[in-house]
Amino acid sequence: MRPFALSYARPAVKSPTSTPYTYDATRQLNVLPDGRPATCSRAVLLATGTTASTAGSKTHFDD
Amino acid sequence: MTVLILTCEEDLTADMVVSTLHDLGVPLVRLDPADLPGTVALSADYVRNDFHGYLKAGERMVSLSSLRSIWVRRPGTPGARAAEQSTWLTAESEQALYGMLTCTRARWMNHPVAAMQARYKPWQLHTAHHSGFAVPPTLITTFPSVARQFAATHRDLVVKSVSGKHPGDPPLVLPTTRISPDVDFAGVAAGPTLFQRHIRKQADIRLTCIGSHLSAARKKSDPDEVDSRFTDNSTWEPVAVPDAVHRAVEGYMTTAQLAYGAFDFAEDTDGTWWFLECNQGGQFGFIQLDTDQPLAQAVATWLAAEPFT
Repeated sequence: MRPFALSYARPAVKSPTSTPYTYDATRQLNVLPDGRPATCSRAVLLATGTTASTAGSKTHFDD
Repeated sequence: MTVLILTCEEDLTADMVVSTLHDLGVPLVRLDPADLPGTVALSADYVRNDFHGYLKAGERMVSLSSLRSIWVRRPGTPGARAAEQSTWLTAESEQALYGMLTCTRARWMNHPVAAMQARYKPWQLHTAHHSGFAVPPTLITTFPSVARQFAATHRDLVVKSVSGKHPGDPPLVLPTTRISPDVDFAGVAAGPTLFQRHIRKQADIRLTCIGSHLSAARKKSDPDEVDSRFTDNSTWEPVAVPDAVHRAVEGYMTTAQLAYGAFDFAEDTDGTWWFLECNQGGQFGFIQLDTDQPLAQAVATWLAAEPFT
């Protein structure tokens, strides 16, 4: 028998697979191709979704 | 003294805090436990007078005694990226790493024991009630007959995940969903199910508690909307925290022994904030982006404080 709650589950929307930043182990944060910290770009922060309210539930179950 | 941040590399929210710590001139080591063993290494010895040891992350070394605080943000599973990954290796790595860290004087955001307890939804509701929050009538059951009775009493219901996790393989999401009281409840027997009386809300509230720092944000909502995480139709705006809620948050955080908590409320048409949950590791980046509330700075300031003596 299917658990009741699963009747209301729906397919997850796929996140973008590419990110416009890379981790810089020396600075211990992510940087853009031009070397600036990724957090300098509001557009990047919004587009990547790692700061979003559903980001946690995808991997760590804390939104 | 050094701040230790446990999180994955792609965590931009952690970056927001790392940048602030850099600005403050506070030394930090950031690592992902998934890289233990590998680019993360550790050693500790108990010869006399307690454990002495160190962690190595890439080219950085830090002694356990020099840790001022530990931020458990979005850590990977210990051992997950090992060449020969196994459940046993994960258990060994987790025990070694977190076991060593719990022997330090460092302040935790949040301590793993407190975090584990705080994730239990029934415990959250229990603690919220005793802290003075308004809590919606809630049922967790595997009895279809009890679910039917609850539905008959409260009529307007939502169903949500007990654990907060979403089903996987294939990836699914389980938004909080409004249901008819006349639905077939037979499937309740196949898994514990959480029902809650639906709060017709005029706004969502996210309150972020960082140490003694409280910030709240409000997002207008359609009264028929249930889970705003999946609708994304308006922006968050700063809102003052009512005194009664402030006191309840303080009580909750003290009971939970948490340094960080992200509280979700539904604001009803009378203005009452109904407690929905407290995510001990909840996101805050999206709130800061909308409201400019200095949440990353508050986290950094808390982490930068001296350890307990």
